Amino acid sequence: MTLTDTPAPTPPSPEPPAARPIRWKEIVAVWLVLTAITVVGDLVVFPRVMPRSASTTMHLTIVTVVLFSVTAAPVGSLVYAGAVYALRHWRAGSGDEPPPEGPPYRKHNQLSIAWLSISAMLAVFLLVWGLGALAADNAVAQKATMTVDATGQQWLWTFHYPGTKVTTETPYLPVGRTVTFDVTSLDVTHSFWIVQMGAKIDANPGEVTTVSVTPTRIGDFDVRCAELCGLYHAFMTTQIHVVSASQYQSWLQTQELSA
Amino acid sequence: MTTTMPTAPAPAQPAHRGSAGGGLMRRLNFGTGVLAGVALAAVAWLLSHSLLDSAGTFFQDQVATITFIGWVVGFLLGIGAFNGPINWFRGRDLTHDDELYLAGKDLGPRRYWKFCTDHKVVGVQYFVMTMIVLFAGGVLAMLIRIQLARPGDHFVNPQIYNAFIGMHGILMIVGLIVAVSGPFGNFIMPIMIGARDMAFPRLNALSFWLLVAAAVPLLAVFAVGGISDGWSTYAPLSVQDHVGMDAFAVGVTTFIISTTIAGVNMVTTFITMRTKGMKLDRVPIFTWGVTTSAALGLYAMPFFAVALTLLLSDRALGTSFYLSFGGGTDWLWENLFWLMGHPEVYVILLPAVGAVLEIATVFARKPLFGYNVVVGGMIGIVGLSTIVWAHHMFTTGWAPALNGPFMLTTELISIPTGVVFLALLGTIWQGRLWTRLPLLYVFGFVWNFIIGGVTGIYLSDVPVDNQMHGTMFVVAHFHYVFVGSVLFGALGAVAFWFPKMTGKYLDERMGRVAFWLVFAGVQVTFISMFISGLMGMQRRVSSYAHAMATTNFISTIGAFVIMAGMIIEAYTIVTSWRSGREAGRNPWRSKTLEWQVPTPVPLENFEVPPVVTSDPYGYGEAAPPLEAPAGHPDATPVTVGAAAKEELQS
Repeated sequence: MTLTDTPAPTPPSPEPPAARPIRWKEIVAVWLVLTAITVVGDLVVFPRVMPRSASTTMHLTIVTVVLFSVTAAPVGSLVYAGAVYALRHWRAGSGDEPPPEGPPYRKHNQLSIAWLSISAMLAVFLLVWGLGALAADNAVAQKATMTVDATGQQWLWTFHYPGTKVTTETPYLPVGRTVTFDVTSLDVTHSFWIVQMGAKIDANPGEVTTVSVTPTRIGDFDVRCAELCGLYHAFMTTQIHVVSASQYQSWLQTQELSA
Repeated sequence: MTTTMPTAPAPAQPAHRGSAGGGLMRRLNFGTGVLAGVALAAVAWLLSHSLLDSAGTFFQDQVATITFIGWVVGFLLGIGAFNGPINWFRGRDLTHDDELYLAGKDLGPRRYWKFCTDHKVVGVQYFVMTMIVLFAGGVLAMLIRIQLARPGDHFVNPQIYNAFIGMHGILMIVGLIVAVSGPFGNFIMPIMIGARDMAFPRLNALSFWLLVAAAVPLLAVFAVGGISDGWSTYAPLSVQDHVGMDAFAVGVTTFIISTTIAGVNMVTTFITMRTKGMKLDRVPIFTWGVTTSAALGLYAMPFFAVALTLLLSDRALGTSFYLSFGGGTDWLWENLFWLMGHPEVYVILLPAVGAVLEIATVFARKPLFGYNVVVGGMIGIVGLSTIVWAHHMFTTGWAPALNGPFMLTTELISIPTGVVFLALLGTIWQGRLWTRLPLLYVFGFVWNFIIGGVTGIYLSDVPVDNQMHGTMFVVAHFHYVFVGSVLFGALGAVAFWFPKMTGKYLDERMGRVAFWLVFAGVQVTFISMFISGLMGMQRRVSSYAHAMATTNFISTIGAFVIMAGMIIEAYTIVTSWRSGREAGRNPWRSKTLEWQVPTPVPLENFEVPPVVTSDPYGYGEAAPPLEAPAGHPDATPVTVGAAAKEELQS
């Protein structure tokens, strides 16, 4: 720091500004209230707003979304509680003259280490959970007993049942039986997304990608293109009909006869 | 910060007039640039029509590409960007007199229309340009929200709508990349580190005028039929697009040359131009934010230029980098794009974080908390952000085996990012909060960045991303980051540095009205957009299922509230600039160097470079001992703290 040999005059050293007592109870109370509101909100909102699950994959996705939200609630609320407390107690005017200077806290090594450790532990928790859920999703593919070819083109989906002559734009699937979609595109990049089943894979020209799902309930489910593919991207939609095994067989036979 | 402000006389200037090409080259300005640009574009158009085979498959794309390149080169020639090299070839390098002329000495307001090398002029030019670009992007956002207010393509057809979203995207990305680094990185940062200008003043001017050159083809996209691929312009869709795509590619490539030149300049300035005593641990945190962002941009942005060059080649020369029937793949585009695209998010974010932290110390009247941890966090973000790109590709099927590793790196980056909150809370803690307009933006940033950060964690999780990818949930997430956090950081920076750039306060009351409108609008717009996405609404759709009609309508209302706030903000900026309250040299009693020089800042900032003996965060601390600067024993040492107290007493 010394730049010259000139002896430096010593300025008067005033008392450092004093810290004020902190009402920790108030911070904790705000933190708990915010956390409680957020957790309740997460539990109420997400399962209602997200589509009702129609596959094992989607079920796990909704659980994960709620779990992450509940985990994040105390973390975000802690920052908000600190900010709210600061705004409530440490405002010191808004005129043209600045308030007196605050206490010179420059660092707090234990706090920094604790902060970094906790965020690292949270990241590890998210990672471990995520890898587990990823493995569960991948395991679905092992159970697949049927395959459907899904082909995207501007701007419709075509489904072909291998080993049959059946080709349709509104496919039927038997409930409870795991299916693998072999997905490709005839022109540009599309994305094959079954909204209520939490399954999505891009349709790439010249490549075949796969996604597997186990439909868990009977109903009509939305297929939407999730990658901008030109003029009528918004209208590149269809429905997948999940029916009972016997209805599926009779549908397949009817299609085969009319093909 | 303890600094010495020597008052030694400046060295005598050489008396002779310069030799910068005499009269003609000195007369060049924006007008001659536009004329030359149009002229060379016309020449390029005529030449390509007469020389190329007009029956060829790629004729139109070749003509468009050559014409727009003609514009860029002509504009730069016409504004005098190449005067330096031309003179050097003629063996007549610029004299000091010429350099001062280039820096706008005695030119008055005219210098803002010229190829001006003064970093403060460039900063103001960037400021105005950023406002124009963001305003254009904002108008497009309103048009998008009008279309989405109701389902069913009720406003425009999908062709026009797709042009809206693509242009909104690229204009906002361009605007946000330069929003903080452009105005304040150029105007403030060199003064902050005690430099008299950037390391390469002519490259600085070049980077700005390249941005202007890029804006013309980008806006011309509309005139030649728009683009229908979003700003990410995924190939092969973008290969089959109209000639608007050629304009887009030339414009964006020009912009990337601009950011690369600016990045080289800023990093070099940071490394070589710091004044005596400005050690790395005394550099103001804003400077770290700008520099890490510029360094990251140097790595990231060229990927996009490469991707676009290959795309132009596919479109105009018949290659097949991205076309599967010729052995190419769309995954090549996606990888190149996101190798740029994810680091670019942090290129945008880091300067805003730096600005918010800088503001927090001044308005809490406390030192920056955890300086070393924050700098480490910024560097950690730069490093990690280069290995997270494929989290944008979880659902592409490109490399399923890498989904786990990319989930890991993406979740790791939350650790250095979380440090920002530690530093902000630690700085505010026990502070004496001076609740002026800039501090408001700090709290707004904290609120929004938590939401933007937490929702990013969902998307880092592969199974959740399989549901959320390509939906409005993603759009809402990154708007909380870009609008809620970066724009708030940028507006805070405007409120904070406005007195230094213009000499006037930004009007406090109008500024607060704008703040609350934008803040409320962001919550309304993007929280309901999260819900639209959770319900299953894809992004980039011109219409949607009726179930999402309510949330979309609410988003549209919120968007117009944001626009109202931004119009008031723009009005406030213009009126305060023209007739605001005089602010004086250091209205915020800050200790960083830019507030110690007079306002308006003299041409070369410091008559004699200052000598720094401590970091600028000594709030509440006894001033360190005064030291005379080396080599200037006659200089009057001044501590900034003492100067501030004198002003208080007077």
